[in-house]
Amino acid sequence: MIQATTMGMSTLYQRRLALAFKTRRGVIVPLTAPLIFALVVAPALAEALGGFSPDIDYMTYVAVAAAVLLVPLTSMFNGLSVITDAKFGITKELLAAPIPRTTIPLANALSILTLALLQAAVLFLAAAARGAEFDTSGTGVLWLLGGVALLSLVTYGLAEMLALAIGKADEYIAMIPAVAIVPWFFAGSLFSIEVLPAPLQQVAMVLPWTHALAVIRYGLVEGSDAGLADIWGLDSEPLMAGLSLLVLAVFAVVTLTGAVKVFGRKSLS
Amino acid sequence: MTAVRFKSPRTAANRGERAAEQPEGREGTPVAAGEPVVSVRELRKTYAGGVEALKGISFDVHEGELFGLLGPNGAGKSTTIGILTTTVRPSGGEACLGGEDVRANSLRARRRMGVVYQESVLDNEFSGRANLRLHARLWGMTRAEGERRIAEVADAIGLEGILDRGVRTYSGGQRRRLEIARALLSEPDVLFLDEPTVGLDPASRHGLWDLIQETRRRYAVSIVLTTHYLDEAERLCDRVAIVHEGRIVALDAPERLIASLGEEVLELRVRADAEEAVGAVAALPLAVGEPFVIGNTVTVPLKRGGGNGAQVMEAVRDAGIAVEGISVRRTTLDDVFLRVTGRRIENGKAA
Repeated sequence: MIQATTMGMSTLYQRRLALAFKTRRGVIVPLTAPLIFALVVAPALAEALGGFSPDIDYMTYVAVAAAVLLVPLTSMFNGLSVITDAKFGITKELLAAPIPRTTIPLANALSILTLALLQAAVLFLAAAARGAEFDTSGTGVLWLLGGVALLSLVTYGLAEMLALAIGKADEYIAMIPAVAIVPWFFAGSLFSIEVLPAPLQQVAMVLPWTHALAVIRYGLVEGSDAGLADIWGLDSEPLMAGLSLLVLAVFAVVTLTGAVKVFGRKSLS
Repeated sequence: MTAVRFKSPRTAANRGERAAEQPEGREGTPVAAGEPVVSVRELRKTYAGGVEALKGISFDVHEGELFGLLGPNGAGKSTTIGILTTTVRPSGGEACLGGEDVRANSLRARRRMGVVYQESVLDNEFSGRANLRLHARLWGMTRAEGERRIAEVADAIGLEGILDRGVRTYSGGQRRRLEIARALLSEPDVLFLDEPTVGLDPASRHGLWDLIQETRRRYAVSIVLTTHYLDEAERLCDRVAIVHEGRIVALDAPERLIASLGEEVLELRVRADAEEAVGAVAALPLAVGEPFVIGNTVTVPLKRGGGNGAQVMEAVRDAGIAVEGISVRRTTLDDVFLRVTGRRIENGKAA
């Protein structure tokens, strides 16, 4: 059983990663808008508006936020492969394979996590080349990786669930802006959640996007704990970052469990 | 061709002999000696919404046998394959592959089978070779073992020249060949072919028949094939189970099913009440089985060398029944299907 699980995970992980690079839609398309944000919109906004935080310049503030736009877009665009695999591809072959079926959605999630980390690295390198000022350390990189990885798992679990539940590519594509982009505006991407109307602040504080963005900013720009403080209001920065990662981990468990359950229900009659 | 594994080579020529050798089991079901590779007992499936797809079917498939499930769309054939390949949950009954219960030991059962689905199930973004490699790894083969098996099977199935092309460029027949090659990679005990020739042009269809026979001869693998093509079942299968509305209504070698109706049948199209004509022809000495009526056609199983149309015409005319047409021809599985279900299969549907 352990051997079958390991073999299944490793084979399906490689297959899904190869598929993402082969089709390119899961790699190039999600990267486009965040890159434009990081390289064009962020510097323009910084110049036009100045800044509002003493800890971080506005260009860097928005460039970091572009990663939290990128990760859900990658998840959602790659969720489309779940539909094409089921309708026109390989899902039935995978169901007949002597591997535990839970490995199918979980291997998908891990491969998209890898892709998201690679894309985030490309984004941050490009933003740094454009002038974003990142000031990080070994611990900071760990916070950053944790934030990106967990947000990827949360949003991919959600994407797989939606893809399986919707089952039609056109309807699924129509959902992408609502799921991948709209929450980003309330997550402290362009401005602090403090300036949102009170009810929206409450919504923002439970969004995984908000927690991920606060942790990633904290990891990439030392001393930039404003996002975490807006959510938790505590004195200890590591404690607040840890709590936000915990929230993300809980969301990840919930959405991935949901994805596995929906996969089981939809793939077997 | 590269040397491949032979278990017990057999040819189509001895199919009839083997079928005849099989002793009669309960309710006329032939049961061969030895453990069956596939064993199905009182299998039931009711889908959500109350649709009863299977109403308790039972059959065995023996080592090296090519077993057919014949019936129109919706008869329950694909549901049976779905349960045996563990993609459909049964509502009741038992199904075993090589002695492994498909519910309790589904992983072990899946290791023993290969499956070719009705619709094409390929990784369309990749080459044929990449599809085979994926299968080899999922079935637990080492890289070297996988490459060796891919070379052997590609040679045997005739895929060598196209294996490195993207599968999107394959014709329907080539896709089917690739899927059969893939299913054979892990040397399964049983190969499931779910309506393998649906959607193929006549040339590809005949080519695939040859491939199925060659595969079975070469690998001595047990094959369970579903089809709604009567000629396909008659040509390929050692034994056929006719599935009708979730039940097996007949099960035997095609030759024996056909022989049960006589070597020839007489078809009589009448203008008036066909039931009256039945009474007239049933009394004639040339009939071997009970005549049966579908619509305004009376079908009469004839004795060997029967086919005395004039005698039948006279009897019917004496009974005062107007006849539109009369014909005598060789008995086919179509007649058997008609006899046991009261329907014909037309374009995959019961008519």
